[in-house]
Formats: sequence, C-alpha cells, structure tokens
Amino acid sequence: MLRTAIIYVVLLVVMRLMGKRQIGEMQPFELVITLLIAELACIPMADTSIPLLYGVVSVLAIYVLHELVTLIDLKIKPLKSVISGKPSVVINKNGIDDYQLKRNNLDVSDLIESLRAAGYFSLDCIDYALYESNGTFSALPKQDYEGMQTSLPLVIIDNGKFDQKNLALTGLEQAFFEDILQREGVKSTKKVLVLTADGTGKLYLQEKGEKFRTLRVNYPAGKTW
Amino acid sequence: MVKSLAAIAAALLILTGLAVFEHLYTRESFDAFGAELQTLYQKADAEEATESDAEAVRLAWEARKEKLHIVLPHGDVNRFDDVLSETVRLIAEREYALALPKLEVLIHLAETLPSSYAPSLANIF
Repeated sequence: MLRTAIIYVVLLVVMRLMGKRQIGEMQPFELVITLLIAELACIPMADTSIPLLYGVVSVLAIYVLHELVTLIDLKIKPLKSVISGKPSVVINKNGIDDYQLKRNNLDVSDLIESLRAAGYFSLDCIDYALYESNGTFSALPKQDYEGMQTSLPLVIIDNGKFDQKNLALTGLEQAFFEDILQREGVKSTKKVLVLTADGTGKLYLQEKGEKFRTLRVNYPAGKTW
Repeated sequence: MVKSLAAIAAALLILTGLAVFEHLYTRESFDAFGAELQTLYQKADAEEATESDAEAVRLAWEARKEKLHIVLPHGDVNRFDDVLSETVRLIAEREYALALPKLEVLIHLAETLPSSYAPSLANIF
C-alpha cells in the first residue's frame, strides 16, 4: 500500500514536471491512474506466484489516493494548480510567449502544429492561444482571421535556426531573408524566435523577448506558393 | 462529497484491516511454526527425533501453508516446502547431522520471513 502511494506520488510529480506535452485531454493525476491501474491489475493476474490480494490492495490504494486527490482538486483552489497545473497562455497580443513554451517543454514548431490542428495557419491571425491544464489547445482568433489566411505560411527561422527544408520549398535564398532581418535591425539570426513567410509576401517576425511584427515583401522574380 | 468521504474512509478501513490482519496472521503462523521447528531441532540434536515427529511438523505446516498462500508470494512459501521435505527424509533415515543444518535454515526463515513484509523503510524502498 505504501509502495503504491509512493509510486503514485512520484508519477504525479513527474507528469507535472513534464508539462503539457505528455498529457492528452486528461488531468495529470488521471493520467497517472491510467498508467498505474492496468499494470497493478495485470501483474497478479498473469503471475500466479503473486497472491491476487496484492493486486486488490494496490488497486484499492490507488482508488483511495485518486479520491483524495480529486477532493483536493475540487475543494482546495490553491492546491488545484499544484496538482493539475494552470493553463499556459502561449500567444498573447505581443506574439509568442517563449517562456511559457519552454516551461511546458514545447517549442515554436509544436505551437504551430497545434495551431494548424485547430484550423489556424497564420500566427498573426491569433490574439490568444493557450494550452489548458489537461494539455488541450485553445485559440482565440482575430476578427476576419479567415481573410488573413490566404496562403500557407512556412517557418523560415525557428528558434534562431534556418529551416533548410522550408527554405527550399520557398525557392528563395537564405541571403534574401538575412537582408530583410538586417533591414529590420535584427542583429543576429540567433535572436529570432520565429520567422514565417507565406506565398503572398507576408512575413511574421518575432525576436526573442520582443513583440512580433508583420512585414510585406516582394519575392524576387514574382515567386509565390 | 459525503459519499466520497465515506467511500474513502471505508476503503482505508479495509486496507488498514487487511494490513493489520496480514501482519498479525503471518507473525503468529511463523511463530507457531518456529516453535515446532525448535522442538524438532532439540529432538534431532539429542538424536531422539523420529519420522513421525518430522511428519507431524510437516502436516502442521501443510495446514498453515494453504492460508499463507493468500497473503504471501507463493515462491517464499515454497522455499519451506523444499527444505522441510529434505529434513523429513533425513530424520527418517536418522541422518541427524545432516538434518540439523536444514532445520537451522527453516528456523532462520521462519524468524526472518515475516519481518520482510513488515512496514519498514528497508521493505518500502
């Protein structure tokens, strides 16, 4: 019983530390239960050298712990955020909140993937986006956001590094974007959190720790995608 | 909420009851078995133990074993079976010098096994 309680608490802490990436629509303590209960029930069932009582006691202990944690989660608000975590606002009016992303073991490409899954393809069409405590993603788009999504934006720079694959897809040279960064007063590519470019010439640029900006450029030789 | 608290209290009561029962029952069973083994050891040491003495200890163990299987891993219980069978045969053959070390093993196991399931830091971790 004590061993089960220790494993439960350790798993719960680890799940909370892992951030929202590891959770999918379950609160961390619910995921821990899911992970534990199947194993606890299976081991004595499959291994005849272990008394069945051991499985029953462990499952019962898990039940008590789960009920206690659920009660705390529902009744004691300050502890709710400790047990289940808080929603993380990863996009606000200033753009992407890199700190919140890192806290949840996510990066810009994960965020863009979540946005696409939610039906938003352009970073500048979002006012707010957040990861709920159970790991689900919610976004509040700007008014008329559909008109802003006329072409698929590609990530050109992700966390200070050029994405060579996407660069090849655009058919543009790295130097083209480096010139734009220079004109915009960006001292180094490493300082860029994200740079996306869509086929119409709209760029989304955000330096680390800075507010995002959108730019309009003309691609050489009338390139588009 | 009252229903949840009642369910938690009931489950805790069952768990605590089971833990106390397991601890007491295991301890009592092995204490009694240990005492029987000690008697057999003294008789074997004095070269007075007979096959029926050894068989009596085995029969008493067989009766206890059925219930111990519910609370102890079967491997641990079976260790006693193996050594006890050898001991009974050695006593039947009046090989007391060989039976005594086996009995010491059994006495040691009966003394130490229950404590390996008792709540202690070493057992938890």
